[in-house]
Amino acid sequence: MSAGTVESRDGGPQSLQQVALVDLLDRLLGSGVVLSGDIVISLSGVDLVQVSLRALITSVRAHVEADDG
Amino acid sequence: MVERRSLPQRMETDPESIERDLVKLVLTIVELVRQLMEKQALRRVDQGDLTDDQVEGLGLGLMHLEQAMDDLKERFDLTTADLNIDLGPLGPLLGD
Amino acid sequence: MAESARYLYAISRSLAGDALADVRGIRGAPVAVVRHEGLDAVVGDVPLEEFGEDGLRTHLEDLAWLEEVARGHDDVVRAVAELGPTAPLRLATICLDDDGVRRRLEESRGSLVSVLDRVAGRAEWSVKLVAPSAAAEPAAEEDRPTSGAEFLRRKKARSDQRQEQHLGATGAAEEVHRELAAVAVASRVLPPQDPQLTGIAGTMVLNGAYLVDLAAGDDFAVRFRELAAAHPTLQAESAGPWPPYSFAVLEEP
Repeated sequence: MSAGTVESRDGGPQSLQQVALVDLLDRLLGSGVVLSGDIVISLSGVDLVQVSLRALITSVRAHVEADDG
Repeated sequence: MVERRSLPQRMETDPESIERDLVKLVLTIVELVRQLMEKQALRRVDQGDLTDDQVEGLGLGLMHLEQAMDDLKERFDLTTADLNIDLGPLGPLLGD
Repeated sequence: MAESARYLYAISRSLAGDALADVRGIRGAPVAVVRHEGLDAVVGDVPLEEFGEDGLRTHLEDLAWLEEVARGHDDVVRAVAELGPTAPLRLATICLDDDGVRRRLEESRGSLVSVLDRVAGRAEWSVKLVAPSAAAEPAAEEDRPTSGAEFLRRKKARSDQRQEQHLGATGAAEEVHRELAAVAVASRVLPPQDPQLTGIAGTMVLNGAYLVDLAAGDDFAVRFRELAAAHPTLQAESAGPWPPYSFAVLEEP
C-alpha cells in the first residue's frame, strides 16, 4: 500500500473525472452513509430473513468483575 | 457528530453458494467473539490480578482458538477482510 | 395520471431565463427556475409516489437508487454553480408545488442570503487522509509462541504498536486539518467514510471540506501537497473544486 497524493480537479459537469459516489453522498446526505450490520438474506431472489448483527453484537459484552465494597 | 445513514446489506444467495455464504456469516460472528475475548484477556492480564496458571491457560486457549480460526478461514477460502462488517456507530466489526 | 412534485436542487440569484435550458436533472427531467423576491430556486419534477415521505423512506436505503438520484442532483447543482454563487440543497428536498417552493424561499430567506454571500467567489475542496492498516497477518517467519503467556505478550505488543500508530495518524490528521483550515475561509470535518463503500483499506483519519477563495485554489493545492509530503505514511487525496455543499447548511426541520 503506497502512500501518495491524488489530486483531482474537475472542470464542471462534463468533467471526465467521475466524482466518487461516497464523496457525493457525504455531502448530499449531510453525514454520509455506512453499510450496516443488518443483513437481508435473500435466496433465489426471495427475501427470507434479516440478521441484525448490530443487535447481536451489542448483546455481547465484556465481562467486568464487580468492584469489592 | 450527525449519525450516518445506515444502509442494510443484502446477501443474495442461491442454491450453489448458500453454504459458503452462511458459513461466512457465522465465521464473522465467531471471529468477533474471538477478538473480543482476546482484547478482554489482555485487559485482565494488565490488571495484574491473575495467577500465572490463569494467564498461561488464557494464552494457550486463545492461541488454539486463533489457529482453529485460521484453519477454518483457509478451508473456506476466506480472508480476514472478508469477515469484516461495519456496524455504524459501533465501528467496523473487527477492530483492525 | 402520476402525480409529480417539485424537487429542489439549489438556490441562486439572478439566473438568466434560459441559462439552464439544456440542463437535465433526475430521470432526465428538465429544470425550471422559481423566483421569489430576489432568490431563484432551481427545481425539477419528480414522481410524488417515489419521492414522498413513504417512498423516500424505502429508497433512501437503496444504494442503487441513491446513486442515480445523487448524480442527477449533482449534475444540476454543478450547472447552476457555473453561473454564480449557489447554495446547493441536500438530497430529496421536495415541495408539492411552486407555491410550496416560494414558501420555502420565504422561510429560509435570511440564511439563504447569508449562504450566498458567504460562498460568492469561493469553492469547496475535499481532503481525505487514510492511515494504511497494520499488516493483516503476523509475519510468517516468526517462531510460534512457546507458551500461552508468550502468546499474550506478543498480542499486547502488537496492540500497543497499533495504538501508537493510530495516535500518530490522528495527530497528523489534526495538524493537517488545522493548517488547511488556516488557508481556507471556512472548514468542516465530515464523518470518516465506510471502507466497505470506498474500497480503501485502512482507517480514514480525516475527511475534510474546505471553503477556499477561487483565487487561492492553487495556494491551497500547494499547501496540501506540502502537508501530504510531510506525512508520507498517510494516503492523501484532495479533490475539487466542488460546489459548496458543505457550507450551505440549511438544516431540514
